Amino acid sequence: MIEVQHVTKRYGPVTAVDDVSFRVDSGQILGFLGPNGAGKTTTMRILTGCASATEGQAFVAGYDVFEEPVEAKRRTGYLPETPPLYPDMTVREYLAFAARINGIRSVAQRERVAAAMARTNVEDVADRHCGKLSKGYRQRVGLAQAILHNPDVLILDEPTAGLDPKQIIETRELIKELAGDHTIILSTHILPEVAQTCERVVIINKGRVVAVDTPENLTGRLRGSETIRVQLDPRGADETAVVQAATVPNVSNVTATPTQDGLVTLEVQCEKGADVRSEVARAVITSGWGLLELTSMRMSLEDIFLELTTSEEPREEDAEAPEATDA
Amino acid sequence: MRNILTIALKELRSYFVSPMAYVAIGFFVFIYGYFFVVSLNFMVRVSMQAGMMGGPQAINVNEYMVRPLLGNMAVVMLFLLPALTGRSYAEEKRSGTIELLLSSPLTGPQIILGKYLGALALFTLMLGVTFVHVGVLFLYGEPELGPILSGYLGLWLMGGAFISVGLLISSMTKNQTVAVVGAFGTALMLWIVSWIGDPSSGSTTTEVLAYLSILDHFDDFSKGVIDTKHLAYYLSFITFGLFLTARSVDSERWRG
Ligand SMILES: Nc1ncnc2c1ncn2[C@@H]1O[C@H](COP(=O)(O)OP(=O)(O)OP(=O)(O)O)[C@@H](O)[C@H]1O
Ligand SMILES: [Mg+2]
Repeated sequence: MIEVQHVTKRYGPVTAVDDVSFRVDSGQILGFLGPNGAGKTTTMRILTGCASATEGQAFVAGYDVFEEPVEAKRRTGYLPETPPLYPDMTVREYLAFAARINGIRSVAQRERVAAAMARTNVEDVADRHCGKLSKGYRQRVGLAQAILHNPDVLILDEPTAGLDPKQIIETRELIKELAGDHTIILSTHILPEVAQTCERVVIINKGRVVAVDTPENLTGRLRGSETIRVQLDPRGADETAVVQAATVPNVSNVTATPTQDGLVTLEVQCEKGADVRSEVARAVITSGWGLLELTSMRMSLEDIFLELTTSEEPREEDAEAPEATDA
Repeated sequence: MRNILTIALKELRSYFVSPMAYVAIGFFVFIYGYFFVVSLNFMVRVSMQAGMMGGPQAINVNEYMVRPLLGNMAVVMLFLLPALTGRSYAEEKRSGTIELLLSSPLTGPQIILGKYLGALALFTLMLGVTFVHVGVLFLYGEPELGPILSGYLGLWLMGGAFISVGLLISSMTKNQTVAVVGAFGTALMLWIVSWIGDPSSGSTTTEVLAYLSILDHFDDFSKGVIDTKHLAYYLSFITFGLFLTARSVDSERWRG
């Protein structure tokens, strides 16, 4: 449904987007993740026809966005980073205008505007001027504008920025609901949002795609080894628990750190994919120590994100990226 | 066509929801009234003198009144129209609403023509209101209608040219003030460009410069002559201005 092929965008000496390729299948939600200045907004502006690319090709709903922009735009709804509202129009007037420029005229217009307002929960400000709305309402009116003409493709630049927690949840629900008959790209800085709403993630850094995968695979793929944290009560016994734990098959490393209240925390590292929790528990108990807590520490999306985007020099993952792009 | 109209109406509306339209129309009509009274006084004095000297009683209203009046209004337009068009693109770029238009299935020319027609409609309204003054002339005198109408046509075309310059400059910046000052400067340059050459020399440069001047083409209209040469000048001026605006908007997509 959306296909980006080797898109590069240069602003003079600055390369904002560098040879980015990815695709989104029909009905999918793709999360676009990256630190500030990574090139998310730039990529989205290229896809929606607000900016042109220096190199590369992009297709939306089967139309080349550079060759057949009008057809592509007809099928695209876009919520820019700053919701594009006219301050002196009321919400209703604004949405009516947005409907007209999308070719929705008198008869259907009223209906569509009402439906979009209902979906985004902006009915109570329908007759207020856009310039007087709070940030959250602006964002929602911007979203209403994007879904108004029922486009095949939705491109949402930080759709939950500035919303209150309740609204964030509602908006995420709305986006998930829309995903069925719309193909969606959304950008965000909020990692749990990606894990919760998106089926696929593109992580972009300094204009380059560093990873494309499902949130689950990403967490899995980057976990070289798994760690279990065990909280123990020594009860005066000697250090046998540590030794015992280290003898469990697949365990690669055990470190023990005493805590302030006389307890001991073990960090047990094991091979990727191996589940050693029950063996470790048994080993610890046979040694006579009290087992207080045992947690499996998965690498969170947050860790992965930081690992991928804050590296000083090129890492392994960077080399893997092209392969991941094709996946 | 519908798309162009949608944009034009939105533009026109934006002039009227801000004080802009009222200030502009009020100012224009007030200045017009002022010049009207001044030139009426002048004409009355001239005709009284002419009467005392035993010359022909009826003095030409068109020659002594309408022509200078329209000439003065052309100067007023030089100041006023850039102020009107300044926000057109600049404000949309500053506030980001331009992305709504750019990502909609409107084409570049539709947006530009819509914006142009919106501003032109407001200007036409401004000009239309001043017909009230002209009506007064017909109540008390016997001016010829022809030259007045052709003079108005000239003013209208000249205004159209100013608006296309204004739109062009506005499309090049995010800053309304820069757009207004830039458009005024450009329009002024095009106005006085013929002063560089020496008309008596008759050289090609002088002729070319004279041809470029927005003002020189207006003269014949105010005399009651509608020359296709001048019509063609204004129309191609406007077309070229809009063409450059389209290029400027497009190049913005590469730069911004
Ligand atoms: N109009 C422009 N002119 C010059 N450079 C630009 C322009 N727009 C963006 N850039 C540069 O391109 C790079 C990518 O910017 P972009 O806005 O796409 O980042 P982003 O991923 O959306 O960041 P954020 O998370 O802060 O929104 C940045 O280095 C930015 O400075
Ligand atoms: Mg951004």
